[in-house]
Amino acid sequence: MIGLGHYLILSGILFSIGLVGVLRRKNLLMLFFATEIMLNAVNIAFAAISNHYHDMAGQMFAFFVIAVAASEVAVGLGLLVILYKKYGTLDLDAYTVMRG
Amino acid sequence: MENLVYIALFAPLAGSLFAALFGMSKKNIITGIVTSTLIFISFVASAILFSHVMTVGPVHVRMMDWIMAGDMLIPFGFLVDQISVTMMTVVTLVSTVVHIYSNGYMDHDKSFNRFFSYLSAFVFSMMVLVMSDNFLGLFIGWEGVGVCSWLLIGFWYHKEDVSREVNPSISPSWAANEAFIMNRIADLGMLVGIFILYWNVGSLQYDVVFAALPNLSDGILVAAAVALFIGAMGKSAQFPLHTWLTDAMEGPTPVSALIHAATMVTAGVFLVIRANPLYSMEAVHWVSYFIAALGTFVAVFAASMALVNRDLKRIIAFSTLSQLGYMFAAAGLGAYWIALFHLAAHAFFKALLFLGAGNVMHAMDGELDIFKMGGLKKVMRWTYLYMGVASLALSGIGIAGIGFAGYFSKDAIIEVAFNEHTYVLWTILVLTAGLTAFYSFRQVFLTFHGNERYHALGIHPHEMYGYVLVALSPLAILAVVAGFYKDWFEHFVTKLLPEYHMSEHTHHIAWILGLLVIAFAVGGIVLAYIKYNRGLKRNEKLERSFVYRLLSNQYYIPIFYEKTISKPYAALSRFSWGTVDQKVVDATVDGIGKFIKTTGDTTRKIQTGNLSDYLRWMAGGALLLVAIAFVAFKLSQGAH
Amino acid sequence: MDGILTILLFFPLLAGLLGFVVNKDSIRAYGIAVASIEFLLSLWLWMSFDVTHAGFQFVENIPLVSDFGISYYVGVDGISLFIIIMATLMTLIGIIALNIKKDIKNLIITLLFLEVAMVGVFISLDAILFYLFWEFSLVPMLYIIGAWGGERRLYAAIKFFLYTFTGSLIMLVGMLYVAYVYHSVSGSWSFAITDWYALILPLDVEKWLFWAFFLGFAIKVPMFPFHTWLPYAHGQAPTVGSVILAAVLLKMGTYGFIRFSLPMFPDASVLYITPVAILAIIMIIYTAMVAYAQEDMKQTIAYSSVSHMGVIIIGTFAMNAEGITGSVFLMLSHGIVSGALFLLVGSIYDRRHTKLMSEFGGLASVMPKYAVIYGIMLMASVGLPLTIGFVGEYLSLAGFYKISPIMTVLAGTSIILGAVYMLNLYKRSFFGPVTHEANATLNDLDGKELAALVPLVLIVVWLGVYPKPVLVPIDNSVKALTSFMHEKAQTRVAKATIVVSKKNKEMK
Repeated sequence: MIGLGHYLILSGILFSIGLVGVLRRKNLLMLFFATEIMLNAVNIAFAAISNHYHDMAGQMFAFFVIAVAASEVAVGLGLLVILYKKYGTLDLDAYTVMRG
Repeated sequence: MENLVYIALFAPLAGSLFAALFGMSKKNIITGIVTSTLIFISFVASAILFSHVMTVGPVHVRMMDWIMAGDMLIPFGFLVDQISVTMMTVVTLVSTVVHIYSNGYMDHDKSFNRFFSYLSAFVFSMMVLVMSDNFLGLFIGWEGVGVCSWLLIGFWYHKEDVSREVNPSISPSWAANEAFIMNRIADLGMLVGIFILYWNVGSLQYDVVFAALPNLSDGILVAAAVALFIGAMGKSAQFPLHTWLTDAMEGPTPVSALIHAATMVTAGVFLVIRANPLYSMEAVHWVSYFIAALGTFVAVFAASMALVNRDLKRIIAFSTLSQLGYMFAAAGLGAYWIALFHLAAHAFFKALLFLGAGNVMHAMDGELDIFKMGGLKKVMRWTYLYMGVASLALSGIGIAGIGFAGYFSKDAIIEVAFNEHTYVLWTILVLTAGLTAFYSFRQVFLTFHGNERYHALGIHPHEMYGYVLVALSPLAILAVVAGFYKDWFEHFVTKLLPEYHMSEHTHHIAWILGLLVIAFAVGGIVLAYIKYNRGLKRNEKLERSFVYRLLSNQYYIPIFYEKTISKPYAALSRFSWGTVDQKVVDATVDGIGKFIKTTGDTTRKIQTGNLSDYLRWMAGGALLLVAIAFVAFKLSQGAH
Repeated sequence: MDGILTILLFFPLLAGLLGFVVNKDSIRAYGIAVASIEFLLSLWLWMSFDVTHAGFQFVENIPLVSDFGISYYVGVDGISLFIIIMATLMTLIGIIALNIKKDIKNLIITLLFLEVAMVGVFISLDAILFYLFWEFSLVPMLYIIGAWGGERRLYAAIKFFLYTFTGSLIMLVGMLYVAYVYHSVSGSWSFAITDWYALILPLDVEKWLFWAFFLGFAIKVPMFPFHTWLPYAHGQAPTVGSVILAAVLLKMGTYGFIRFSLPMFPDASVLYITPVAILAIIMIIYTAMVAYAQEDMKQTIAYSSVSHMGVIIIGTFAMNAEGITGSVFLMLSHGIVSGALFLLVGSIYDRRHTKLMSEFGGLASVMPKYAVIYGIMLMASVGLPLTIGFVGEYLSLAGFYKISPIMTVLAGTSIILGAVYMLNLYKRSFFGPVTHEANATLNDLDGKELAALVPLVLIVVWLGVYPKPVLVPIDNSVKALTSFMHEKAQTRVAKATIVVSKKNKEMK
């Protein structure tokens, strides 16, 4: 029987994959993907816990997250396009304008 | 009578303010005349008050409140009783003479008006000092005379500092500062005495304080007596606070006569006499004995330094110091009225002596070295007479109830020392009487007798103006006759001061004691005559001897003070500033500032501008927070 | 008259804002006019002040943030009344004596704003209001030092600002904690210090709060070892800045002790008499020595300020009517005298562009009026009787004698050491022959300088001879303060130490 624990472990593994992706990847597009993986890891956790407690609030939150993630991707990709046009690359290490 | 009190007190102030109006303008003889007249008015008022006190009794006026805070209420109150009226009369009389004298003496000085302003201000302060009816009022006058003395000693402020090694003379401004600061040291003691009395009695009025004395514990009485006497030591230049008095001779001579002989320096004696109920208490008898012993010590100590000094004014200054010692000896032994009598008599002949010295100095173009004088009696007959009379009075010449002022007053003091069975003090005082006669006449003979050594300097001495000499005559007369009023004076002041009775035994052998003292005094004069009448024969060997050098260098005390107090203080001050303040305290403050700045500078490097670095920091931080939360959770679970 | 304090507070503010549209040539006259009116207003305050009444008068209380108990709550008593008058007087004198051409418009407007802050500090009865004015006073002074100062003005200004600001922040934390305690005890918020007075705090809380407030005040005073900002600030500030700084801004610290520390933490104050007095004594003796070592005339006076502030602290912590009245009076006299001394140093600096004593010598011959006024102020500074300096110094020391005779003797060395450095300064600068060519032709004080200095001389003599009109109101309020402390003190030690004046002056 697949219980709450399994879901949470899956969620944790996915989140870690996303986190490693965020830390290791240098391409901004890849960073976006990694972020999406992390968000979806959280969504799984929300849905599972919601089911466990029979509380719909968690699933509601998961929908919220999906909606927010979608709009974020829309805006973010737009920004990436502008960045690419300006600098000709999406490599993170190329951007050091804020160096203190 | 109340108006007279105010006239006596404020006439000098009016004179001072009047002269101050012209303080920055050229010499104006009017200031001299107006101030002298006002001081004379003050003298007349004091004299009338004197007869009033004698016939009717003391006058006590209260002008207004001064300080009120907490339970403290200090009024401006003035008390004219036997003690203060004696002082008032003496002070205003000498001041009048000195004012008139100064008209002649300061004739050519460009700051003539300023001088009279200071001089009258001094008289006003002195009057406040003697007339106040409470200790803090006395303290006003006390500090006031200190400041006026500072102004007057430093009157010729424009003179440059001269180093001690070349010449014993230093600059007037230096001497002024020395006098002020040394007095301030003693004033702290006086202030503490005032605090003690205030917190234990609740008032500073003389009558209240004296009435409350029997209720105070012994320790408090002793503390108050000691603290007040420390104040007196400064003003009256008692050892070890004595060095300022001789240096104060840098001031104009009338100032020396008025302040450093007749009035201000006797303020300490006045304080002890004024506080006689305190010093007569059984509990403080050893303090009183200490006062007497210190006075005796200073008497011989100062006389010994006068023996070898070459400076006309300094010799007289040392002699003042020595006579102050006599006064303290009398006051310490309980003979307050005799101390007061000697104070008054001394004021007359010492002022005369100083003013005579001023005449000599005026004649000699400011030269003060008696080794360079001699034979002046031909050109300065009157001055010679005055100084001779004053020196005879100072030496205490007289026999069998007839004699100069000093004979009556000083003899009485020596007799008291015998009567109290303090034979050591008595011996020293008798010896000092001999020394006094010797140095006084050494100075007279070196100045007026013998060969005329001043020719070598190309000076043409001349006698002082006639009116000045006339003005000096009251002092000369008093120096001669003041002694005859001894019994009358005793009767007058012992209404307030404790009487002093010689024991039967002393009374019987008094004439022998008197003869002994006279023998010493005459011996001193004769010795001086033998040695110096013919002129100056310098004894090189003697002058190189240790004792001679010790005495002429004032026992090396000024140098000692310079080396152990002034210089280390300056060095310590520079250390405090340069090292402690700059390198420790301020450096710590700046260090904290720098630490923050360096920390910022170092951590700034985290801000690389690289997003992936930021992400790593963020992830690390998040992990750290999760870890902390986890640990905290575990710990809180463990605690339950 | 109601609202007089509000007028007093907002008049210079409005006048300062109006000053921006005043013509540059007439701004000096405008400044003098405004400052005179403000000074007359403060005198009017004194005239309408009921001297027999010990508590706060002309009280106005308008809630500002009622949810948190913050209100526009102002009033004066005998303690603050004369400090306010002195603040307005010294501002007026400072503006009269102004000798700066550069950006004079900004300078005068800044001074008027500074006046608002000073008046505000001394009339505030609400802690937040007090704190606002307290911090606000830093800004104009920062600007004055930073814009019109000497060579190292930026260093001095920033040091002044950051140092005092750090202390005040700690004080603010203390204030918030008191408010929090008040809230938890009474259930409502209040920042009114009269409400705080009623609060009886546990002794260990009192101790912590005492030190929190202490830091804020001590840096302002400035007490040893927090004094090092002061010589820089004075050294670099223009004359008018030094005058106001020494005369009024330093008094905010000692005023704070009397207004906050003593009534709010009587037990802790009594408990810490000894450490505070030791700091004060170090401050008196040590800074007097440092003052003696200075070559720069202005630095000597700056350090002498610190030394005199030590006597004020001693008087404040005497905990009896004599001492506290004396210390308040000494605040006034120190304000007048040090202000005048800084003005005098400014005069000679304007002429010679140096403040080094070695550059002078013999000034008394060339500038007699200057020498006379300097001499009077010097004597007042060393505490000569019948000048303003004596009364406060005497009362402060007399009060502290009740606490500790030995420490009083140590503190009393200030009368000796003060004479040492002051007379040394005077001798080196004024006495002796004129050694520098440049000094031989100096002009004596001109009309403007005399107009600024002569009133101060008159005050110095007047309040030295007849201090009663000022002493009585101060004394009444101080007696109320000491008896209040006595009632509030919880421990027997504290009660015994706070000597209450039993006799009442009006009874007689």
